[in-house]
Amino acid sequence: MATAVVNPLDVTIETPGVRAPLVTGGHDYAAITEMVTRIPLDKRTPIGWWIAFIPSAIIAGMFFAAISYMICTGVGVMGNMSPVFWAWPIVNFVFWVGIGHAGTLISAILFLFRQNWRTSINRAAEAMTIFAVMTAGVFPAIHVGRIWVIYWVFPYPNQMAMWPNFKSPLCWDVFAISTYFTVSLLFWYLGMVPDLATLRDRAQGKIQQFAYGLLSLGWTGSATSWHRFEKAYTILAAISTPLVLSVHTVVSFDFAVSQLPGWHTTIFPPYFVAGAIFGGFAMVVCLLVPARAFFGLKDLVTLRHIENMNKIILATGSIVGYAYGMEFFVAWYSGNPYEGFTFVNRAFGPYSWAYWTMIFCNVVSPQIYWFKWARTSPLISFIVCTFVNIGMWFERFVIVITSLSRDFLPSSWGYYRPTQVDVMILIGSFGFFLTLFLLFCRFLPMVAMAEVKGVLPHPEHSAGKSGH
Amino acid sequence: MNKTYWRSLNELHDKPEFLEILHREFPQAAAEYPDGISRRRWLQLMGASLALGGMAGCRWEKEVIAPELSRDPNRIPGVPVMYATAREHAGFGEALLVRSYDGRPTKVEGNPEHPASLGATTQFAQASILELYDPDRLDSVKHRVDGKEEPKSWADFQASVMPLLERSGDGGSIAFLVEASSSPSFADMKKRFLAKYPAAKWFEYESISRDHDVAGAMAAFGQPARTHLKLADANVVVALDSDLLRSHPNALVHTRDWAARRDPDHASGMIRLYSFESQFSITGANADHRVPVRSSEIAAVLATLESLVEEGLGSAEAILAKLAKESEPRTKTILAAAHDLVTHPGTSVVSIGPGQPPALHARVHRLNARLQNVGKTVIYTDEPNGGRPSHVESLKSLVEAMRAKMIGTLFIVGGNPAYTAPADVDFVGALKSVDHPIRLGGYDDETAVLCEWALPMAHAFESWSDTRTYDGTVTLIQPLIEPLHGGRSAIETIALLLGDTAPEVSSELAKSLGERIVRRTSLAWVGSDEAKWKKSLHDGFFADSVLLPVNVTVKPEIKPGEEQLGGASPTNGKLEIVFSESSHTFDGRFANNGWLMETPDFITKMTWENVAILSPKTAEDLNVKDATLISLEHAGQKIELPAYVLPGQAYGSIGVQLGFGRRMAGVVGGYVPAELKSVGVDVTPLRSAPGMGFASGAKVVPLGKEIRFATTQDHFSIDPLGDEEIQRRSHELIREANLDEYKSHPDFAKHVVHHPPLLSLWKSPLNPNEPHRWGMTIDLAKCTGCNACITACQSENNIPIVGKEQVTRSRELHWIRIDRYFRGDKENPEVVCQPLTCQQCENAPCEQVCPVAATVHSDEGLNDMVYNRCIGTRYCANNCPYKVRRFNYFHFTGYLDKAKEGNEILRRMVLNPEVTVRTRGVMEKCTYCVQRISSAKIQAKNAQRAIVDGEVRSACQQVCPADAIVFGNLADENSRVAKLQKGDRSYALLGEINTLPRTLYLARIRNPHPALAVARLKPHGQEHHQEDGHEHGHEHPEGVDHAPAEAKHS
Repeated sequence: MATAVVNPLDVTIETPGVRAPLVTGGHDYAAITEMVTRIPLDKRTPIGWWIAFIPSAIIAGMFFAAISYMICTGVGVMGNMSPVFWAWPIVNFVFWVGIGHAGTLISAILFLFRQNWRTSINRAAEAMTIFAVMTAGVFPAIHVGRIWVIYWVFPYPNQMAMWPNFKSPLCWDVFAISTYFTVSLLFWYLGMVPDLATLRDRAQGKIQQFAYGLLSLGWTGSATSWHRFEKAYTILAAISTPLVLSVHTVVSFDFAVSQLPGWHTTIFPPYFVAGAIFGGFAMVVCLLVPARAFFGLKDLVTLRHIENMNKIILATGSIVGYAYGMEFFVAWYSGNPYEGFTFVNRAFGPYSWAYWTMIFCNVVSPQIYWFKWARTSPLISFIVCTFVNIGMWFERFVIVITSLSRDFLPSSWGYYRPTQVDVMILIGSFGFFLTLFLLFCRFLPMVAMAEVKGVLPHPEHSAGKSGH
Repeated sequence: MNKTYWRSLNELHDKPEFLEILHREFPQAAAEYPDGISRRRWLQLMGASLALGGMAGCRWEKEVIAPELSRDPNRIPGVPVMYATAREHAGFGEALLVRSYDGRPTKVEGNPEHPASLGATTQFAQASILELYDPDRLDSVKHRVDGKEEPKSWADFQASVMPLLERSGDGGSIAFLVEASSSPSFADMKKRFLAKYPAAKWFEYESISRDHDVAGAMAAFGQPARTHLKLADANVVVALDSDLLRSHPNALVHTRDWAARRDPDHASGMIRLYSFESQFSITGANADHRVPVRSSEIAAVLATLESLVEEGLGSAEAILAKLAKESEPRTKTILAAAHDLVTHPGTSVVSIGPGQPPALHARVHRLNARLQNVGKTVIYTDEPNGGRPSHVESLKSLVEAMRAKMIGTLFIVGGNPAYTAPADVDFVGALKSVDHPIRLGGYDDETAVLCEWALPMAHAFESWSDTRTYDGTVTLIQPLIEPLHGGRSAIETIALLLGDTAPEVSSELAKSLGERIVRRTSLAWVGSDEAKWKKSLHDGFFADSVLLPVNVTVKPEIKPGEEQLGGASPTNGKLEIVFSESSHTFDGRFANNGWLMETPDFITKMTWENVAILSPKTAEDLNVKDATLISLEHAGQKIELPAYVLPGQAYGSIGVQLGFGRRMAGVVGGYVPAELKSVGVDVTPLRSAPGMGFASGAKVVPLGKEIRFATTQDHFSIDPLGDEEIQRRSHELIREANLDEYKSHPDFAKHVVHHPPLLSLWKSPLNPNEPHRWGMTIDLAKCTGCNACITACQSENNIPIVGKEQVTRSRELHWIRIDRYFRGDKENPEVVCQPLTCQQCENAPCEQVCPVAATVHSDEGLNDMVYNRCIGTRYCANNCPYKVRRFNYFHFTGYLDKAKEGNEILRRMVLNPEVTVRTRGVMEKCTYCVQRISSAKIQAKNAQRAIVDGEVRSACQQVCPADAIVFGNLADENSRVAKLQKGDRSYALLGEINTLPRTLYLARIRNPHPALAVARLKPHGQEHHQEDGHEHGHEHPEGVDHAPAEAKHS
């Protein structure tokens, strides 16, 4: 047992030749286990959790109430119109799918690249992914005119002898999203099995023991188990990695494959993926900054984690900014007058307010991350990442609504206005997402204990000198 | 009678059960949740009166389906039969064919054999079928005394009124107020009535009247004469505030003749049209040269024209010289018109509108005579009933007589004078002095509620009658269905009063009274020749009954005028106000007709509302913003209505539309006693007897309150960026050239857009050997934008209306729309319009993106919509570059499911049984009238022959008075459509995105006066199409060689 020595080093300082520790506070294995398992096993639910959970649950209730109302009445209760046949639901869908990128990216890609700093945040990020994809999945389903026959988009044997139309990007979407969700869920769950077993072993209550016991799939911690676990985990990581790139690529095909000026552009796949990582990391920061403070996980989710994520945000934000510029260049360079107008119209037309909101939030605000003090300040990170989230929502708004509102024939141009139902559904989706996330925080291990232990400074070495 | 329909909207809406059911049964009520008001209107439209649960015992109580033991010889169940009939519109006949399915009329067409229809109809005639099934029609005889209302029967009425007639002796206290009619039978019944009651008085009133035409001819010739214009023989037409192509009673023929001469390859050359008018009419919008002038300035325009014509008849060169020097655009146009007139003696037409005073009409007659047009392009015939006083005078003398208590019993036959009477003729007040006012009319409207008796008048499609079209052809009206509400026609009602049973015709020949009366009148035309009668009834009219030309000479005292152009501009308080008929309701008579209410006005694109139209400069001067409320004052009266800033309105002139603000129209048009708000604003308070057409002295006060218009185009004030782009695009979308440019560069339309080679990812799945490849052309040189196609399509394809709030959200469902663009100067723009339906792209963007394959291609090239496969992702609509797909955001046809009994079930009867009624959540769009294609294919197959060209006609094509739409089989090289598509003028809209549309447009050709012509084509170099390796906009179907077109081009 190493003695717990307070690490005097600031983990965000790069000292040549010395790796900063990934976990601070000089905790040992038991302390890590204690720190993480204490949260789900605590019999008394903290008041603060209730304060966050109750409003979230109410808002989630509003979400489903608004959706039920819409299903009973007709999608006309939303503001969709001609020519803006897709509006907020699709904006929300792409926004949430984008959010759902960071988790798997952190888990799978960073895992394969041996970026061990990921271990402290990957669990929460993966949970966020699952919940974001669940939230996202609601939208394409509810926005259709006849939700009661939505299952026709799946290729299943039926008496009509009909396949879905495999040419349609919406059909590809169905496969891409459902595959991504399935694999992400498995990956998340598989990674959680050893930790669930820990909870099972430490649980006091009967129900807890039963539930965690069931979920931990009879994990024994034997070398064979670990061996298979590591293999399966690596395989799933390998499967997930292309999916991270493919999901948003396919989502972008919804737009890129159409012929609408402003949608029909080949830059969309990389631009969407970069945007999704950008938005996803911003959401992770937004969730973890308050969570690490509230649940006392500052030693596991260190400032260095925040800083690393902020660096990624700065990089992907710059890619996104470059894409915005490149879209304009291509619109001009293509000589296509319709595309040219669409982009001028974005910046100076009736929706220019949305465009400049997007530019400010996505391109301007992350620039502060060039400064280290900003990168390493949880407060500033939270603010900037909130901006980024707003900006990424507006990016989808600009793409979907501004492009649709003025397409080829000026006679059908229109100006989209959302209704109260649209607003309720948008706000409600956050309630739904937060409700799920709060439940996760309360009942599941928020940090991957087993993995964090693997990256602890080795107890034999004097703590704090080096990482691993 | 065991009918227990609800008797009035009042009664219905007050019932607590009704309100309860309404809340329970209509989830759609909440459909427009965010807009508080809309909920009410939605109910009003769709649901309100449906809920008749609990009211038992109506004629549809039982439904028994059984085969007929013996079948009528010409009747096959399920096979529609066309009957020739007609209807009257403001005193003139409209010759129609009505399609009937198993005794249920569902669709109106024009009578192609009839010289005044030529197969086309107006938009109003199309919508009259909806009126037939309007649940709000007066459905029983009503008796009202001291505010108490009682249902009665015709027998009660007869018992009560006969003593009155008897007591009146020679009829001294009896008067009739009738709407205008040209029915010979009605005239006959009038004669018989006056023979029996010689002292009875007879008045006729129509609020939108052609009185000034009649009075003008009287003034010019000293005898009544009707003017007929032969536009087919005219090379030059000058229209002075005259809407020849829309509101004229002979507009269908004018449009057909005019459109034929808009063909740039016509053997006699193209017709040239000048228009001087205060606000855009269809005629003005289609003119080669249009000048906005205030209606009050038309006299000066005419005077200038007259003096120039006099001068030019001496030397046309002098006019040309002046023209070369002149720079002021208005004078320049008048000079050009004068030059054209004098150089086309005998082949020109000058026409003046009905709003202009009779003195000007007389001067126009003189001018036409001076130009040697009489007998050639301008033909005079007798004017039936020409000696009558003008309608306003007639109404005035009736009001005086009523005030003087000279009238004890007043029969009001048709019309709605309580609503349409001008403000200074207090008809409503005077009616109180009448002891027994009796009203025969279609609705329990503003007039009916003031009368002691309200008698249901049979609809034209329910009754026997006859009428004369503008050319005088006597046209028969035969019933398509028994009166739905026990109504009787005007002639039957008068016969009832006279006890006339038309014994001259044997009741074996004609069972019904109406038929006997009509046959009695017909004796004058066909005698007792039964075969001739049968043929006439089959054809719908008596051959050779047209009015014959008369020789008239203009009185020498008719002199050219001396008014000078360029008077002082009117200031606020002296503004001109022009009253025009509404394209939605005419004079208010169609206010309860949802189809018409939702058809966008041809120029403003407004639905469900009337507006005050101001020119941009007028609005700026008055500090009025577009789409804000203004107060309009005239002659001490004040109304508030929204301002609509319209380019091309004459400066200082305000246009308002009549026929809105009905207080008792019905569920659709408003019924104030039942708290159903009026639609639009009634402008009659500003209208007075001397100024029925236009008046001066109006004042505008901006009130500033913003209004969101329910327009189908330009939903918001366009920003300069958008406006500039619209200007740029409009030239690519609507390709246009002057006649001489076309002659030197016939395939210019194919060279407007340059684009890279068009490649497709997919191989065309279409079989090149398919015997039917359907296609369409729309000739933009001919289309006037009259909207008849919109209503025809709505009627044919069961398209529901969606209501004002939904139109405000751009959710209208019309399968065909007419895009309208302004070009150039804001004060005097050019207008172009373009009908747009599904283009049936061969390479359809919509089909590729549908995840469930709900929209797929047929072998014959139609882009089919499979409603019951559609899940409503709306992706197809997003990807449609033409935005012709329409989505059912709500269950817009839900009212049909819910209607179980009572009058509401009538709404279903208008449906075309061959077209699916769509449900909520599915996409819909134009099908090229696939049901008509199928039916023609079945017929051809049964007869073992091929479909002949012209056999399948889409609803829009059939109704088009301009013959602008041609549909047919592209696989048949000799079909009209195939030839037109191969012609020089054809082009594909947005062909550069490789959609390969099956509908092609024919480029619009203008025929300007050479001195006024503005180049429309960019100067065309020789080299532009060779080296750049780019293709031009050659949008031919696959496999067509480009070489000939290229060769022609260089």
